[in-house]
Amino acid sequence: MNGTLAVARYTLLEMSRRRLLLVFFIVGAGGIALLGIGVRAFSSLLVPAIEIHRSDGSTVSAADANRLIELTFVSNLISVLGLFALLMAFAIGMTAIYHDLESGSAVAIFSKPVSRFAFAAGKLAAAIVAMIAIVGVLGVEARLVMLLFGGGLEEALSLEILAAVANAVTLMLVVLALSSWMNNIVAAIVAFVFNGVTSVVNALHQQVNATNQGGLEGLKAVVNVAYWLVPHQLVSSAPREIVRSEFLIINTGPDMPPVDDVVSGIPGPSGAGDILWWLLVVVVLCGLLYLAVRRRQV
Amino acid sequence: MAAVVSVQNLRKRYRRRDPWAVDGVSFEVGPGEAFGLLGPNGAGKTSIVKMITGLLRPDSGSISLFGMNPGVPAARTELGFAPEDPDFPKFLRAPEVLDYFAGLLGLDDAERKRRIPETLAFAGLSGERRQVRQFSKGMKQRLGIAQAILGRPKLLILDEPTADLDPLGRRDVRALIDRLKASGVAVLLNSHLLSEVERVCDTVAILARGRVLKEGAMDEVVPEGSNLEEVFVQLVEANQPQHDSVPSFISEPGA
Repeated sequence: MNGTLAVARYTLLEMSRRRLLLVFFIVGAGGIALLGIGVRAFSSLLVPAIEIHRSDGSTVSAADANRLIELTFVSNLISVLGLFALLMAFAIGMTAIYHDLESGSAVAIFSKPVSRFAFAAGKLAAAIVAMIAIVGVLGVEARLVMLLFGGGLEEALSLEILAAVANAVTLMLVVLALSSWMNNIVAAIVAFVFNGVTSVVNALHQQVNATNQGGLEGLKAVVNVAYWLVPHQLVSSAPREIVRSEFLIINTGPDMPPVDDVVSGIPGPSGAGDILWWLLVVVVLCGLLYLAVRRRQV
Repeated sequence: MAAVVSVQNLRKRYRRRDPWAVDGVSFEVGPGEAFGLLGPNGAGKTSIVKMITGLLRPDSGSISLFGMNPGVPAARTELGFAPEDPDFPKFLRAPEVLDYFAGLLGLDDAERKRRIPETLAFAGLSGERRQVRQFSKGMKQRLGIAQAILGRPKLLILDEPTADLDPLGRRDVRALIDRLKASGVAVLLNSHLLSEVERVCDTVAILARGRVLKEGAMDEVVPEGSNLEEVFVQLVEANQPQHDSVPSFISEPGA
């Protein structure tokens, strides 16, 4: 336990001094502030001057127009935070263990009475805490920026940040585990491709299962099998609710399709099965990381 | 008295097609003994040291460190190891590195407060505020020795400890070894500086191509009227192919 705490503590201290993480953090924090202030200023200038028309030709009220802008902002914010969390996953995953193993620090560390398990656990704890802390601080900033718009979507944002952190942790563990076996740049490239494949499989699964069209049973079966072979990307209800709210403001005519049909193509909130699968994937990746560290001869 | 470290018929190679890096090496080091491990580059000295410290797994043979397998963390509780060409987390400062390692050793706060400043003073790094990434090789070597003695080891392994040190640093390391020996600490010294080994070691093993060529007490290995360097050169030259090591163009006329 002492060993794990020492490894975690000083890995966090090292991370806090890495310029790469600091630059990413500043870019993320600046980006969120600029996005919020920019959209707010833009809407203040434009909303009184323009008219937004509904599908039936009527004009959207100023309150609804502001609501639309807020929804657009939150939608963009979710994308920015998700992207930022993935960047952090690469930055932390590529450096947290790799530099110790490659620089020779591991020689002095592993000759001390500390087990490889304690070392791997300490590194993992530090990496996860760093990820939660950095994305968490940005999440708090995002919620403060949302006050510019009157609020009301804070809950949706909080759950989506949680999902973004969970997805980023999975990717970070892939990079960490791979960088214990191979060069960290190669590890990042492999993880990037893996993340792309995972995203495509998750999106395909969503689309195929939202379609009631016949003749897709074969494709459905293949996609469903593939879906249970990759990590499930966790999603909150926010993306679907944002589209639902936007749709309800803009589309008011009698011949509009049911809103539930419209949003069925948007990923819905992850269920217990998805969360358990995510947990299992995290446990397996932690196990792989430990095996890589244990086998490593320095 | 039981050996602090006992190595029996140790063998190691890094790939199947490679020759043995360590081939049937056996020796023991007792408490208070200074044991010198000598050999030319590639003789297998560092591989042996890394197997003793649990960093590498032997292919065959056995190692007993304080009566245990060195792969078990408890076996390394009383081990201090100053690696050749040491490195540390590069964004930490010297006191932080020692505090990190004190944590790995399980030292309590009171012991840390007492030992870390003294160890830094010994290593000449007391006032140093720069991060490790800004350290010279010599400063890293001093920090390497500092972390090795922090846990008050009963076995101190020094792998080329003075390679990057200035004469004052070398003198300090020699004094440290003498002090440790006198207090019953076993020292395993791996060095190319034969005069240094001859001065501080009681026992010596000379290796070449992974095998022990000669082992014994210093006065057995070095006959009267000779010195360790002569014995070393004779033994090593007799056991590995010789070649003219000076490039021919160096002595060409008009160069």
